[in-house]
Formats: sequence, C-alpha cells, structure tokens
Amino acid sequence: MLDNRELKRLILSTALRGEGSAEAFETLYRMCAPLLLGVALRLVRRRELAEEILHDSFTRIWRSAESLDPMSTQPLAWMVAIVRNRAIDVLESHDVSRVDALDASAADEALDQLFDWSPGPEHDLDLQRAARLLRDCLAGLQAAERQSLVLAYAHGMSHRDLAAHLKKPLGTVKGWIRRGLGNLRECVERCTEPAR
Amino acid sequence: MRLARDPRLDALCGGYLLGTLRGPARRRFERAVRQEPEVALRLRHWESTFSPRYSEMIGIQPSRSGWKRLLDELDLARYRAPWYRRLGFWRAWALAATLALLAGVSVQLLLPVLRTAELVEVARLESADKVEVLSAALSKDRRMLRLHAVRPVISGPAQSFELWLLPAEGGAPISLAVLGALDARVALPASQAERLRVGAKLAVSVEPAGGSPTGAPTGPVILVGDIRS
Repeated sequence: MLDNRELKRLILSTALRGEGSAEAFETLYRMCAPLLLGVALRLVRRRELAEEILHDSFTRIWRSAESLDPMSTQPLAWMVAIVRNRAIDVLESHDVSRVDALDASAADEALDQLFDWSPGPEHDLDLQRAARLLRDCLAGLQAAERQSLVLAYAHGMSHRDLAAHLKKPLGTVKGWIRRGLGNLRECVERCTEPAR
Repeated sequence: MRLARDPRLDALCGGYLLGTLRGPARRRFERAVRQEPEVALRLRHWESTFSPRYSEMIGIQPSRSGWKRLLDELDLARYRAPWYRRLGFWRAWALAATLALLAGVSVQLLLPVLRTAELVEVARLESADKVEVLSAALSKDRRMLRLHAVRPVISGPAQSFELWLLPAEGGAPISLAVLGALDARVALPASQAERLRVGAKLAVSVEPAGGSPTGAPTGPVILVGDIRS
C-alpha cells in the first residue's frame, strides 16, 4: 500500500538536490514504478511504449520535484497525472488503437479493474470516504455522461476519439464530458458539505 | 490571462485529471498551477475528490534496465550520500556489530568508548517548562549531529518535527532537518556546521507532515537550547 505521506517526504528529499536525494528518488522509483507502469500500460497497451513513458515520467518527476505543491496531500495523484499525461501525448503521436475490442458495457468494469474500492488502512479514512462517494456519484450520472468519463479516463480517449467511438457529434460528446464532470463535482461536494 | 478567475477553472481541473485537456491548453494550465496559488489550491481540491486508490493488481515490474538508465541519464551519482553516511552503511555496521557480539567480542565495552570518542554534546534542548528533553551531540568532524531524546515525545500522524538553527549573528532560522522522530542523526552541510557555535541556538518546531511549507517555522516551537561548545 503506497503511503502518501511517505511519498511526499521522498519527493521533497528529491527536490532538495543534496546528499541523499538520489537515494530518496531511488526509493520513490522502487515503490511507485510498478503501479505507474501499470497505469501507462492500461492506456497505451504496448509494453515497450509503457516503459518509455515510465522513463520520461520519472525524468520529469526528478526535474520538477520542487514543483510539487507543498500542501498537497495526494503526491501519488500528482505522479499519476504526470504519467497519464505523458501516455496521452504518446497516444496522440503514435498510431495506437484504443477502441479495439471495447464494448460499451465493459466501460464500467474498466473502473473496477483500475481501482481498489475496498476499505484501505485506517489513516486513509478521508480517502476511503472520498472514493466511496466518487463511485456512488458516478453511478448516479446519466449513462452517456458516465460512459464518456470512464472511456476518457480508463482508455485515454480524447474528445475526438470519443465522438468516433460513440458515433456522436464532437459537440455532443464535449457537452457530456463537461456536464458529467460538473455533476460529479456537485454530487461529491453536496455529500461532503454537511460533514464539514 | 489569470486562470484563477476563469469561470472554466473547475472544468480545466477536471479535464486535466481526466486527460481530455491536451496540447497547448494543458501546458497553459500546468504553468498556471505553478504560478497561481489559487489554481494549485483548486486542483488540490479536485485531486482529493477524484483520486480513488489504484488497484495494486495493475502493477507490473519494470524492466531491470529502467532504473540504470535513469541513473545514467540524470547523473544521479552526484546526489548520492557518501558511503559512510548512507543508511545501508549503518545497517551493515549494525549487522557487523551484532556478528561481533555473536562471536563473543565484548561490544558492550567497545561501543561506549567509540561513541564518546566520536561525539561531543553541544546543546541540551528544553521545553517551555524547563524540562530537558533532547541532547544534541556533534561529531568530531562537525558533519553529523546526533539527537537523542531523554524523554519520549511522539509526533501526531500528520506532523513532523523540524530542527532549526538560530544563528549567533541573528537573522532567520535555518532549517537543518525534518524529523519523524526526535532520535535522529542529521548530516550537516559544511556551511551550516560552521554556524553551530557558542551564541547560536537549536530549536525544534512542530510542522505539517513533510516539514514547514514556507521555509520558516510555522508551528509551535516546543524545544530550544543554547549551543555551549
């Protein structure tokens, strides 16, 4: 189980560029590389491309470690975003087919393969609650909104890919994504507010 | 244009995490995250809301050459601690000491001699109620500070201790280390080792996990002591 506090400590040590920064970065690599490689492979589906993405992402993590928001409580999300965005750039520049053997009913299952919704360690109670809320709120979205969000996230589809895959005009798909994200945020915020 | 006041800020944060924000628009957004604290704050909110735990089932061991390539290309050897300050060295040393004990050598006699020969106590840090809590000892080469807690002090789960040097000549406190526990060894850069002299003080503050976000103490100072030698 990756501990966000430990990851943050390692990233901050990496950013110091002093004695021991290399060791901190190596520990960070040993802890996170397998998961991040898995994230990349889910998107590009080719091992050699995923390894390149992992390499480029860790190069970026090393170079921009000091740009981690010091108040961030989600350093893993910061690293995942770096990997995902690099993978998306690679998807755009390579001819990687994303829509083969993908049927719409499988979209919801994709999220269950990607994420562990089970209760985690005790100190992650807030995270557990957020994950449960997110899943419930996703389930409450309109089918088209939910499907577009899941396809975009789990398969790295762009607006254009989604329009082609779902056989709908680009504007319609953009609207689903925009409204889906907005509704998701509203739902999560509505459910968390009374507890604050 | 500042993104912080852009009505599309939430859509941009969401699109960034979702992966639909691409190309120049994404680069603009990333720049704004670095430059505009309000944008970073909003993205942090989105990250804490939309970050379910990835299943470890999807993890795959990277190829063995992966780390080696990073090591070479980023010239990481420059940032490695010297062999005698690495944790691995101290672990190996501890193992050797244990083996020596097993072999029947009286390490108990030897260790205190070694320790006192190599460290000199330079300060005792007290809490506000004048209770001595922490002893700070400096190695002979002035490159390593060993902290030893006389009384146990436990930090909360979301807290770190931060050790500060208050220079003899005045001026802002200098952060020496972020600590998970008060018992610690701290490697001192040469520039700071020189400042550890009579007239200076050492202090410990309580900070958010990972240390002070500002570079200056933000939490309560719980311990302070004069450097005596």
